[in-house]
Amino acid sequence: MRVGIPGGLLYYRYGKLWTSFLEALGAEVVESGETTRSILNSGVSKAENESCLPVKVFYGHVLALREKVDAIFVPRLVSVKKGTHTCPKMLGLPDLARAAVEDKVPVIAPTINFQEGMWANYRAVYSLGRLFTRNPFRILRAGLDAWREHRLYLERLTLGLDHRSALKGEAEGLLCEGRELRIGVIGHHYNVYDTFTTMSLLDRLGSMGVDVVTADMVPEELKERELKRLPKEIYWSYEREVAGAILACSRYRLVDGIIFMISFPCGPDSIIRVLCEQENRRLGGVPMLSLVIDEHTGEGGFLTRIEAFVDMLRRRKNPVALRKEAVAV
Amino acid sequence: MRISWPHMGSLEFVLGSVFEELGLDYLLPPPNSQRTLELGTRYGPEFACFPLKTTLGNFIEALEAGADTLIMVSGRGPCRFGFYAETQRRILEDAGYDFRMVMLEFEPGRIPATIRKLGELKQGRPWRSVVRAIKFALSKAYLIDRLEQQALHQRCLDRERGATTKALERCYRMVWEADSYAALRRVEEEAFELLRSVPGEERETVKIGIVGEFYLVLEPFFNLGVEEQLGNLGAFVERSVYLTDWLRPSGNNPVAGHHDREVEEAARPYLTHFVGGEGLRSVGATALYHRLGFDGVVHVMPFTCMPETIAKSILPRVSRDLGIPVLFLVIDEMTGKAGVATRLEAFVDLARFRRRSREAGLDYSLQPAF
Repeated sequence: MRVGIPGGLLYYRYGKLWTSFLEALGAEVVESGETTRSILNSGVSKAENESCLPVKVFYGHVLALREKVDAIFVPRLVSVKKGTHTCPKMLGLPDLARAAVEDKVPVIAPTINFQEGMWANYRAVYSLGRLFTRNPFRILRAGLDAWREHRLYLERLTLGLDHRSALKGEAEGLLCEGRELRIGVIGHHYNVYDTFTTMSLLDRLGSMGVDVVTADMVPEELKERELKRLPKEIYWSYEREVAGAILACSRYRLVDGIIFMISFPCGPDSIIRVLCEQENRRLGGVPMLSLVIDEHTGEGGFLTRIEAFVDMLRRRKNPVALRKEAVAV
Repeated sequence: MRISWPHMGSLEFVLGSVFEELGLDYLLPPPNSQRTLELGTRYGPEFACFPLKTTLGNFIEALEAGADTLIMVSGRGPCRFGFYAETQRRILEDAGYDFRMVMLEFEPGRIPATIRKLGELKQGRPWRSVVRAIKFALSKAYLIDRLEQQALHQRCLDRERGATTKALERCYRMVWEADSYAALRRVEEEAFELLRSVPGEERETVKIGIVGEFYLVLEPFFNLGVEEQLGNLGAFVERSVYLTDWLRPSGNNPVAGHHDREVEEAARPYLTHFVGGEGLRSVGATALYHRLGFDGVVHVMPFTCMPETIAKSILPRVSRDLGIPVLFLVIDEMTGKAGVATRLEAFVDLARFRRRSREAGLDYSLQPAF
C-alpha cells in the first residue's frame, strides 16, 4: 500500500515519526517533498481564499500526492498536551484534505487527543497499525522505534541543526556556530523551516554571518517559566512554544534580535503578537521584527527588511567600531 | 464602579436587565456605528478577526463615556474568542486607558474564580437576588429570541416594508420595561399580538437559512442587516443560532429547534470533529436546512475567522452533494453595503427560480459552472 504524507504543516514536526512508523509497518511511504512553486500555485488556486498560507501550501502537497498514492495520511492532532489545543485548522485538517481530493483517495486520519488521556491515543495508534498488519507486537515495536527516532530528530533540532539535515540525520548545517551576531528566528515550525515560503531565510542569515536561534533551541525550562508568568495561560500548544521562546529570548537576552515569522492570516499568531510585543517592550528586551509572509510576498522587499534589520543590530551591538569605520570611509 | 460590556445582538437587554434589577451602576456603550469600527481597526491587531475589533471599539467608546469596569467572557476553546479579553486588556492599557477588565470563565476548573469575580461585581447584593436577576434576564432573552424568530418568519409578507421591524422595536421596549414575571407574561401575549397584527399579504416566498459565526449572525449592524434585507426581498428566514441557544449550556437549542447532537450527526459525512466556534454547526445546519426543504443558505463569517474558514472550505462540497445553494458573505471593515445587497438580491432570485422549477417538476439541479 502506498501511503502519501503531505510535506506541509505538522510534517515539519512529526515527519520523522510518521515516516518511520509507517515504513516499519511495511507501507510504502511517498512524500510530497519540499514546497515548490507549482505546489504553492496549485494550493493557492484550490484552497479557500481566507485560509492561511501554510494551509494553502498543505493543499498543494495533498494535490501533488493525489494521483500517486493509495491513501493519504493526515492525522488529526486535537491536543498534544493536557489542557491545550492545537489551532482549529488542524482540527479540521483531515476533512479539508478529504474535500481537496474529492473522495478519490481515502484519507487515513487517526485522532490524537491528550485531553482524553493516553489510552485513547494508544488505541488510535494501534488501530492505525492494524490497517497494515495484524501482528500487535510489530505495531508496538514500530511505535516505539518511531518514537525513538522522533526524539532523536527533536534533539537534533534542539542542538541547532536545520530541519533538513535533522531529518536526514546528518551533522552538517549547524545554525549556531558562535559568530558575533545572534538572531532568534521564531515562529511555527512550518513557517521557519519551509525553505520555499521563507525564501531560505535561515541559509541567507547564515551567509550574512549571523547565528540563528530557533524556538527549538531555547531551553524548555525557560519557556515554561516565562509562560507561567503570564496572567492568562495560552491554550494553543504550538503557540505556547512560540510565545515562550520569544519571552525567554527577550528576558534573558539570549539573542541580539528577534524575527517573529508569521504567515498571513494566522489566527493565533495575530493574538500572540500583541502579547509578545507588549511584554518585550515592558521587559526592555531586544529589537523585534514581525515578518508577515503570504503567497504574494516579494523577495526584494523581504530581503531588504532582513538586511536592514541585521545592519541595525550590528550597529547597536558595536557602535565604536562602526564609528571608526564611518570615519575611515 | 460603572460596568460596561460590548454589544452583541440583544445582549444589552439581557445584561442591562440584570444590573437594573440589582440596582447597580452600569453603562451601555454607545450604539454600534462607523466610529466604533474605526476605533477598533485603529487599535486592533491587523489580521485579528472582525469581532475583536468591533468589541474593542465598543470598549473604547464605553471608556470614553465614563465606564471603568469592563466585562468580557473568556475561555480556552481552540477559537480566538477565549483570548479576546486578555488581548483587549493589553491593547487598551497600551492606549493609556484606566480601567478594570473582568474576565469571566465558565470552564469547570475556573468556576470558583468566576464566582469570586462575580462577588466583587455584585457589590454587596445578596447572591439570592443575583441568581433571581439572572434567571429573570434569561427569560427575557428567551422571549426576545422568540419574538425575533417570529419577525424573521413573517417579514417577507409585510404589506408595508419595514412594518415588522418597527413592531419588533416596540416589542424590545415592552420587554425591557417588564419588571416582573407577571408583567413579562403579559408582555409576551401583547408582543406576539402586536407582531401578528402587522398587515401582511399573500406572496410567493422562498426559505433561506442563515448560518455562520454567532457574533456576526446576531449583530445586525455589522452583518449589514442580512436578515432584514433577506426578509424585505421576500424570504422566510431562519437562523442557526440565537442568543438563548448560545447562553444555555445544555445543547438543546430551544429557539433554533435542533439539538447539538442532531447538528453533529448531519455534519458527519463532511466534517467529523469539533473545530471550535460555530464551524461544525454551520456545516450541520446547512445539511439540516436541506432536509427541512430550504431553498438556500447564507453563510456569514468575519474575515480570518478560523472555524468558519474550515466550514467555508467544506460547504461547497455540501452544497454540491445536496444541491442546496450557499452564499458566502465574508465580512470585515472593508465590506460595502451595496455589494452585499446586490449579492443577496441575486441569491434570492436564484432561490426563487429553483423553487419555481421544482414546483413545476423541471430539472433544477445545479449547472456544472455553478
